[in-house]
Amino acid sequence: MERQSRVMSEKDEYQFQHQGAVELLVFNFLLILTILTIWLFKNHRFRFLHETGGAMVYGLIMGLILRYATAPTDIESGTVYDCVKLTFSPSTLLVNITDQVYEYKYKREISQHNINPHQGNAILEKMTFDPEIFFNVLLPPIIFHAGYSLKKRHFFQNLGSILTYAFLGTAISCIVIGLIMYGFVKAMIHAGQLKTGDFHFTDCLFFGSLMSATDPVTVLAIFHELHVDPDLYTLLFGESVLNDAVAIVLTYSISIYSPKENPNAFDAAAFFQSVGNFLGIFAGSFAMGSAYAIITALLTKFTKLCEFPMLETGLFFLLSWSAFLSAEAAGLTGIVAVLFCGVTQAHYTYNNLSSDSKIRTKQLFEFMNFLAENVIFCYMGLALFTFQNHIFNALFILGAFLAIFVARACNIYPLSFLLNLGRKQKIPWNFQHMMMFSGLRGAIAFALAIRNTESQPKQMMFTTTLLLVFFTVWVFGGGTTPMLTWLQIRVGVDLDENLKEDPSSQHQEANNLDKNMTKAESARLFRMWYSFDHKYLKPILTHSGPPLTTTLPEWCGPISRLLTSPQAYGEQLKEDDVECIVNQDELAINYQEQASSPCSPPARLGLDQKASPQTPGKENIYEGDLGLGGYELKLEQTLGQSQLN
Amino acid sequence: MEPGDAARPGSGRATGAPPPRLLLLPLLPLLLGWGLRVAAAASASSSGAAAEDSSAMEELATEKEAEESHRQDSVSLLTFILLLTLTILTIWLFKHRRVRFLHETGLAMIYGLIVGVILRYGTPATSGRDKSLSCTQEDRAFSTLLVNVSGKFFEYTLKGEISPGKINSVEQNDMLRKVTFDPEVFFNILLPPIIFHAGYSLKKRHFFRNLGSILAYAFLGTAVSCFIIGNLMYGVVKLMKIMGQLSDKFYYTDCLFFGAIISATDPVTVLAIFNELHADVDLYALLFGESVLNDAVAIVLSSSIVAYQPAGLNTHAFDAAAFFKSVGIFLGIFSGSFTMGAVTGVVTALVTKFTKLHCFPLLETALFFLMSWSTFLLAEACGFTGVVAVLFCGITQAHYTYNNLSVESRSRTKQLFEVLHFLAENFIFSYMGLALFTFQKHVFSPIFIIGAFVAIFLGRAAHIYPLSFFLNLGRRHKIGWNFQHMMMFSGLRGAMAFALAIRDTASYARQMMFTTTLLIVFFTVWIIGGGTTPMLSWLNIRVGVDPDQDPPPNNDSFQVLQGDGPDSARGNRTKQESAWIFRLWYSFDHNYLKPILTHSGPPLTTTLPAWCGLLARCLTSPQVYDNQEPLREEDSDFILTEGDLTLTYGDSTVTANGSSSSHTASTSLEGSRRMKSSSEEVLERDLGMGDQKVSSRGTRLVFPLEDNA
Repeated sequence: MERQSRVMSEKDEYQFQHQGAVELLVFNFLLILTILTIWLFKNHRFRFLHETGGAMVYGLIMGLILRYATAPTDIESGTVYDCVKLTFSPSTLLVNITDQVYEYKYKREISQHNINPHQGNAILEKMTFDPEIFFNVLLPPIIFHAGYSLKKRHFFQNLGSILTYAFLGTAISCIVIGLIMYGFVKAMIHAGQLKTGDFHFTDCLFFGSLMSATDPVTVLAIFHELHVDPDLYTLLFGESVLNDAVAIVLTYSISIYSPKENPNAFDAAAFFQSVGNFLGIFAGSFAMGSAYAIITALLTKFTKLCEFPMLETGLFFLLSWSAFLSAEAAGLTGIVAVLFCGVTQAHYTYNNLSSDSKIRTKQLFEFMNFLAENVIFCYMGLALFTFQNHIFNALFILGAFLAIFVARACNIYPLSFLLNLGRKQKIPWNFQHMMMFSGLRGAIAFALAIRNTESQPKQMMFTTTLLLVFFTVWVFGGGTTPMLTWLQIRVGVDLDENLKEDPSSQHQEANNLDKNMTKAESARLFRMWYSFDHKYLKPILTHSGPPLTTTLPEWCGPISRLLTSPQAYGEQLKEDDVECIVNQDELAINYQEQASSPCSPPARLGLDQKASPQTPGKENIYEGDLGLGGYELKLEQTLGQSQLN
Repeated sequence: MEPGDAARPGSGRATGAPPPRLLLLPLLPLLLGWGLRVAAAASASSSGAAAEDSSAMEELATEKEAEESHRQDSVSLLTFILLLTLTILTIWLFKHRRVRFLHETGLAMIYGLIVGVILRYGTPATSGRDKSLSCTQEDRAFSTLLVNVSGKFFEYTLKGEISPGKINSVEQNDMLRKVTFDPEVFFNILLPPIIFHAGYSLKKRHFFRNLGSILAYAFLGTAVSCFIIGNLMYGVVKLMKIMGQLSDKFYYTDCLFFGAIISATDPVTVLAIFNELHADVDLYALLFGESVLNDAVAIVLSSSIVAYQPAGLNTHAFDAAAFFKSVGIFLGIFSGSFTMGAVTGVVTALVTKFTKLHCFPLLETALFFLMSWSTFLLAEACGFTGVVAVLFCGITQAHYTYNNLSVESRSRTKQLFEVLHFLAENFIFSYMGLALFTFQKHVFSPIFIIGAFVAIFLGRAAHIYPLSFFLNLGRRHKIGWNFQHMMMFSGLRGAMAFALAIRDTASYARQMMFTTTLLIVFFTVWIIGGGTTPMLSWLNIRVGVDPDQDPPPNNDSFQVLQGDGPDSARGNRTKQESAWIFRLWYSFDHNYLKPILTHSGPPLTTTLPAWCGLLARCLTSPQVYDNQEPLREEDSDFILTEGDLTLTYGDSTVTANGSSSSHTASTSLEGSRRMKSSSEEVLERDLGMGDQKVSSRGTRLVFPLEDNA
């Protein structure tokens, strides 16, 4: 008897394990299919369906099959056991079943209405991941890659606008969506579709914040492929990257917003506490991410790890991951930390790596990003059918669609107007329309929505989010190419060509002066940061930049000598190029076709001009006033890039 | 966090710093452990506080607990990652200073050990809040359990079965429990990349040359070693029973199981040193090939021993029917896994051949990765052994698919799996160090441990020497005594033995085995691994033989290089005698499989009989016709993974390359001249000779291509 039951349970476990394999296998096959389809599309230059859209379609089909073709098994496991002896729910439960003790691990709490017959279908249940997987496994590589591949030159040029869109824009969008949705919820209560106490204003704001995370991956891929204007690209990309970070922290601080007595009313103290939380978490995550990147930079600078590219890659990977885990362990947001870790790594550490490691890390994260992204989109397709607690509410969905458009408009147009007051190089109307159009929702919104699906409002939100993601990815993603032509946005501007133009145009006086002024006006803060970065941080953290002994005051001579690497003295000439290469176009997604052709002309050009403008430029940096210095520096940077090409 | 921060000054200035700085590094785990202890204490106090809350706060408490558990998960993972970071830095230091007595894996274990000690004795034990409740209405365990606790519903998932005696000692320390992974993690996440990498980086030329011996060592040898260890251990167990030291049942099958798991040798340390010192290539191939296949055999063997269940009442007696069933299971699982792996490899090769995926290296890499992973999952889902399937998938991928990949994808896949392999291996080893202290059900039995040590040496000796003797009867190129001693010496145990042992630690016997395995791994990795360099010099084994430089000196012994001269006849004979099955396979491979699966080889239209001309034309890729000029076609066929796939972090391999390039530059010209004349021969002549030529050219042409690339 004892043996029999043991064999039984062993079989059960066996089954259990194999279910895991089958489930993963399904995803693997979906991804393989997606890859092959993408190849076919790329080969034939179809641009109306992006790989993520394809992944969703396949996920949807698979979900449909799983839902309606598999027989519900093991209904019994849906039964509920009453335990009178327990007064709370322990994290581990030991159950004694006919003299055999089993250990059960706490998974989650379910509300009563969720215990429906579907719970019994083992395959469907298996197909549903733990939502934390998204946050702990799949999103970090995506976000890190985004940070690591940020095209720095254009990014820093437009940093002011990007920050405005990301912070102010997300806040506006969150509040607008929240308010509109609150209106719809009130209407639904009137229409009798919803009970009064269910859906609070904080829930609406929560929905607004998670819906504010835009993810125009489809649009960006098309932009990249068609070589759309780099400024537009950078604005969109930078906004979407920072946007995610802001939305995550915002969502978190709204979800822990809990006023004391009346739990869902507005409370000024709690509100300010929430704002404090937001700032604290954001700053903490930022600091954590940058700190790890700086550690990595110092380690790679002061050890000769570059002799062993694999160790270097391993270290890079592990420390970047540590940034995530430390932030999580400290109660901050790992994803935000990872994002800033990626940005800092690209800025400093990347210069210290050996060329082999540069390629390796790039490819490694690119690969992980690709897989993770497609897994998430596949899962989205799957979840529409396999998730068991969908609540479809037509009014709510309609309201959400309306709300995201209005909110996007409220975010882009007024902010662009304000920004244009300050910018010399205006954001034209067609760019604004395009940005308005590119308000796609993607992985982050989904991950935030699926994180908590316990209560009824949350389930409704989840369903709505899913539908919104589908709609935006398919319709907007597919409509990008026509939209581009309709809005008459320049395409075919190759980034490298743009680089080539830059130095030549900047040598023309008129243009030169104009741009110089733009820079001086719009980014004074950045110029300061830039010169600080160039004079102190770069020399400390990397092998490049001027030696610290020249930039630091006299009295800290020993420290500066200690921190300056011998290379900085030796390779005064080479140094400046090394510093600036970073990952301008190297980190670009390189599975796009024929990007290699324009490589040769700029290289030649760079060599031609290398001798003349650089040497006078250098003195300017050290002696000239900050404004000019910053500008010359930038000029050199572009030169350096083209040389490297 | 401080540990990482502190790592900077410690190792940072070490390049020019005096040796005392070296001492700083080992102190870091202490710091790390201290940090963990604080974290654990904080969490313990907070969860304790949560427990005291009134029932009104229950929900909040559970939620907090979940968050707390997530935080602890992060901390425990962080521990491992920081351990790995430390290991990497120390490895660098060691490599930089050419310290060879301690390999990275040994180092990872030491760091793991230190943190384990701190966790074990430094963290406070949290209250055991687990409750046991009896359920009368159920007769079996479900994977999920819904419990109604005073109006709230909670979902629980099955974690495992606990033997009744252990209930009281169920992990009471939260932190210790957190750092103890589910054993299946090893099998499903950490081992596959290691094994795949092993298969993918098998140096094919030397491997195939010694395939007969390797197979003999791997299959026969493992079986011999398993039985000898099993029998010896049975004797030890009997002895223990007499002395009254055995407190629970220990059957003969348990002994055999122990024999099987401990037969999985893993001389990663030795191989790394060989690779670094460029020890004799044949010895390297023998050891590496043996250890790779060995693992596969040991896994399947252990699972078929577990499956050995005689009918009737006496469940642990010998039963012929059950025995043969076990053998059948072994063969079934092994061939099933082999087929599964080979089939997915072939499918990948076909997909990469017939789609133009190589325009998009990222897609190609992703496909490659996913297909290889699918092999594992598919095999697991079908009830075969995923790890074995992955091994053969790796070999097939390296043999066929690798040729279809774009140049970029080749380096991408190589590097990807290299990094994965490196991380996974060091992770396992640092976990081993940790497990010695954090695993809570150790059973230390001195007699058993001593018996096991004796048994593994005897088992290794009984496996190497007789088999080598028999093999030497058939081999022209004998396995020298010093090689045999070295192989005997390299019987290290590693990740595989550990993973097999930790997989099942439910019964008393298994726990004792686990403890013993752990100790054996420690001992062999540290002592034997550290003694490799002295042993090599003591046994007078050639070092400094670069694999790329190898053919010229070995010219006389096995391989015909020029096809003329007095040595050729002898070499030719050797080849014919020792490996005629392989020659057959080789020509089949070259004439049919390669053209079908890759872009290289002769076009199928010439090799296949006339009646399947349509099919042949359909399967032959257009490149083959274009590449009819023998120069390109033939050598792209052979580059494979010879020198490419070697571990790149071995230092100073560059110099050898330079010298060989000049050497081969001249010979490549000669080779290409020869080839023009012989290309017709290959196609028309009899198989044996044609094959001979091809292989001889293969060895030649590896280098020029590599240098160009």
